[in-house]
Amino acid sequence: MNPKLLFLIPLLPLLCGAANALCGMRLPRRLAVILAVGGVAAATVLTLVAWPLAAGKGTAAVLYTWLASGPLEVPVAIRFDALSAPMTLMVTFVSTLIHLYATGYMEREEDYARFFALLNLFVFAMLTIVLADNLLLLFLGWEGVGFCSYGLIGFWYREEKNAIAGRKAFIVTRVGDVFFGIALLWLFKLAGTLSVTAINARADAIPAGDLTVLVLLLLAGACGKSAQLPLMTWLPDAMAGPTPVSALIHAATMVTAGVYLLCRLFPLVSLSPAGMGAIASVGALTALYAATSALAQREIKRVLAYSTMSQIGYMFLAVGAGSVTGAMFHLFTHAFFKALLFMGAGCLIHLAGDENDIFKMGGMAKKHRPVFLLFVAGGLCLAGVPLTGGFFSKDLILLAAFEGGHPLYPLLWAVGLVTALLTALYTFRLLYLVFAGEPRGSGEAHRLPASMVWSLYPLAALGLAGGLLNLPPMVGGGEALQELLGPLAGREASASHAVEWILAGLSTLAVATGWLIARSRYRTFSGKPRGALQSFLLAGWQADRLADLLLVRPFGAIARFLWQGVDLSVIDGLLESLARGCRGGGERLRILTTGRLSSYLTAFAWGLVVILGWFLIAIIK
Amino acid sequence: MIVPFAHVLTFAAALFVMGLACVLARRNLIMILIGVEVMLNAVGVVLVGASALWRQVDGQVFVIFLMAMTSAEVSISLAMVVYLRRRKGTINADAFDGMKG
Repeated sequence: MNPKLLFLIPLLPLLCGAANALCGMRLPRRLAVILAVGGVAAATVLTLVAWPLAAGKGTAAVLYTWLASGPLEVPVAIRFDALSAPMTLMVTFVSTLIHLYATGYMEREEDYARFFALLNLFVFAMLTIVLADNLLLLFLGWEGVGFCSYGLIGFWYREEKNAIAGRKAFIVTRVGDVFFGIALLWLFKLAGTLSVTAINARADAIPAGDLTVLVLLLLAGACGKSAQLPLMTWLPDAMAGPTPVSALIHAATMVTAGVYLLCRLFPLVSLSPAGMGAIASVGALTALYAATSALAQREIKRVLAYSTMSQIGYMFLAVGAGSVTGAMFHLFTHAFFKALLFMGAGCLIHLAGDENDIFKMGGMAKKHRPVFLLFVAGGLCLAGVPLTGGFFSKDLILLAAFEGGHPLYPLLWAVGLVTALLTALYTFRLLYLVFAGEPRGSGEAHRLPASMVWSLYPLAALGLAGGLLNLPPMVGGGEALQELLGPLAGREASASHAVEWILAGLSTLAVATGWLIARSRYRTFSGKPRGALQSFLLAGWQADRLADLLLVRPFGAIARFLWQGVDLSVIDGLLESLARGCRGGGERLRILTTGRLSSYLTAFAWGLVVILGWFLIAIIK
Repeated sequence: MIVPFAHVLTFAAALFVMGLACVLARRNLIMILIGVEVMLNAVGVVLVGASALWRQVDGQVFVIFLMAMTSAEVSISLAMVVYLRRRKGTINADAFDGMKG
C-alpha cells in the first residue's frame, strides 16, 4: 500500500465535512447524514487496511513541503507508528459510532448541516494531531479541535448561556495554547527542527535547565486542552453542547490530546525528572479535585464531565510515572466507556423528558431495559470494578505510580487510591440516583431512535472487555498494548506478582468501600437539603469564583481603565479636539464666501490693486 | 504718430477705471456687462496705440480678433441674463447668491 494513501485518513472526514459545510442544506437530509457518517467510517476502514504499515518503526509519509524558509522546513508529514495507529483507530472508530448516534440524537434538529460539518471537521483536526509528524502541523490540528469544540459547545447559540460556555472553553484552552506555542518556538531554537521524530532523537542534547522549562510549558499546553488544574474550569461548562459533542470531544478524543502530546514527546519529556514529577502531581491532584467535585453534582452530564477530568488526571499521573502504556491503555478504555456513558446519558435525558437533574430522575431502570444495562456497564468500567477495562487500566497506572523512583510517587499513588474510592462512590451515587427507587420527575419520555441505542453496544463490549487490550501477566495476559508500543512504551512495570496482587486487592477494596457507602446513602433518595460542603463541591471548589476574582475582574478593571481612562478620554479627546478646531476654523472662514458677485468682484479689484502696488514698489526700488 | 503715446495710455487708463467703477458699483447685470465691455475696449485702445507706435500691424489684428470675441461673449452673456431673469424675475446680481457658504 502506498504510504501516501495514509493522508486519506484525515482528508476523508475533511472532504465530507467541507461538502456538508458548503452545500449541506441543499442536499437531501439523508444524503448529508450519510456523507457525514460515511466519511468517518471510511477513515476507520482505511486505518484498518493500513494497519500493517504501523509495524516496526512505523511509516512516515510526506505530502508536500508546506513552509521552507532558511533552517525552517515544515513538511506536511505524517507518521503512522505503534503509538499513532491505535490512537487513529480509536478516534475513527469511536467517532463513527458517535456520528451514528448523532443521526438519531439530531433527528429533529433543523441545522444538521452545520452540526455534521463541524463534527467531521473536528475528526479531521483530531486526526491531524494524532498523525502529524511535525509539531507545527500538530499545532494546526490542536487549534482546529479547539475551534470545532468552540463551535459545537455553542451549537445552540441562541441561548446565551451556551454561547458563553463556548467562549469560555475557547479562551481557557487558549491560555494553555499560548504556552504550547512558546514551547514550539523554543524547541525549534534548541533542536533546529520541528519534526517530532527528530526532536525525540536529539532530546538528550538539550541542556537540562531548558528541558525542564520546556516540559513545564508543554505540560501547561496539555493542561489547557485536557482540562487539568488549573485550566480545568471550562470542561463542566462545555456540557452545554449537544450530547454527541460531549461524548466525542469532551470525553473520548479532544481532551485526551494533551495526554497524547506528552506521550508523543515522551522521549523528550522523560529526560526531565522535575517535569515528570510536575506532570504526575498535576494529574493526581486533578484526579482528586475532580472526583470530589463530582460527588456533589446534580446534572448528569456534569458528573460525567468531572469524572472525565478525573480520569484524564490518572492518565497524566501515568505519563508522569513514566508509563506510556498505562496512559494510552487508560486513554483507550476511558474513551470507550466514557463515550458510552455520555451517549447513555443522552438516552436517559431523552427518556426523562429533557430532564438532566439526577435528583429528579429515579426509577429509570424500568423505563428502558437496554439503556439501563448499557449505562450500568459503563458505570462499572468507570468505577473500576474488577475485570472491567477500567479496572485493569487504572491498576496499571496505580502500579506505575507506586513503584516510581522518587518518594513523591508513593504519595501520588495514595492520592490515586483515594480517588479510586471516590470514583466508585460518585459513580454508584449516580447509578443509584438515576435508576433506583421510584420516578421523581414528571417529564414525558421522548421516543428513542434506534441508532441511539444500537451504537452503544459495541462501546459497552469494548469497555467491559477493554482489559484484553493489555491484560497484565499476573492474570495470564500478554500485555498486547505494551508489546505493540515496544520502545515507545516508556518504563516497564517491574514489581513482583505479589505486589501487583496486593495493589489490585487494595483498589478492589477501595471500589467496594465506595460502592457500600453509595449504597447506604443513595439507595433511597432522601432529598435532604445540601450543606455548606456540598455547595462548595457542587461549585467545583469555587474554582470559577476564584478565577473570576483573581483574573477576570482585575482584567476587566484594567480593560475598563484602558477603555474609559485612556481610549475615550485621552486618545479620543485629543483627536476630537483636533477635529473640533478644524471645524471651528472652517466655520469662521465660511463667512468669506457670501455667494454675491459684487463682493467677489470687489475682491478681484483689491487683488489688482495689490499686484499693481507690488509692481510699483518693485519699480521704485 | 500725431497723438503722443502717453495720452493714449492716460485715456485708456481712464476708460479702464471707469469701466471698473461701473462693474464694482452697479448691481444690475447688464450694467456690469457694459462695464466689462468698456474695460475691454480700454485694452483695445492701448493695443491700437502700441501698434501705431511701433508700426507693427499685430496689435490691430489683435483688436479685430478682440472685437469678434467680444461680440460672441456679449451674445452669450445676454442670453444668460435673459435666462437668469426668467428664473428669479430680477437681474440684480446680489439676488443670485446660491453659492453662499
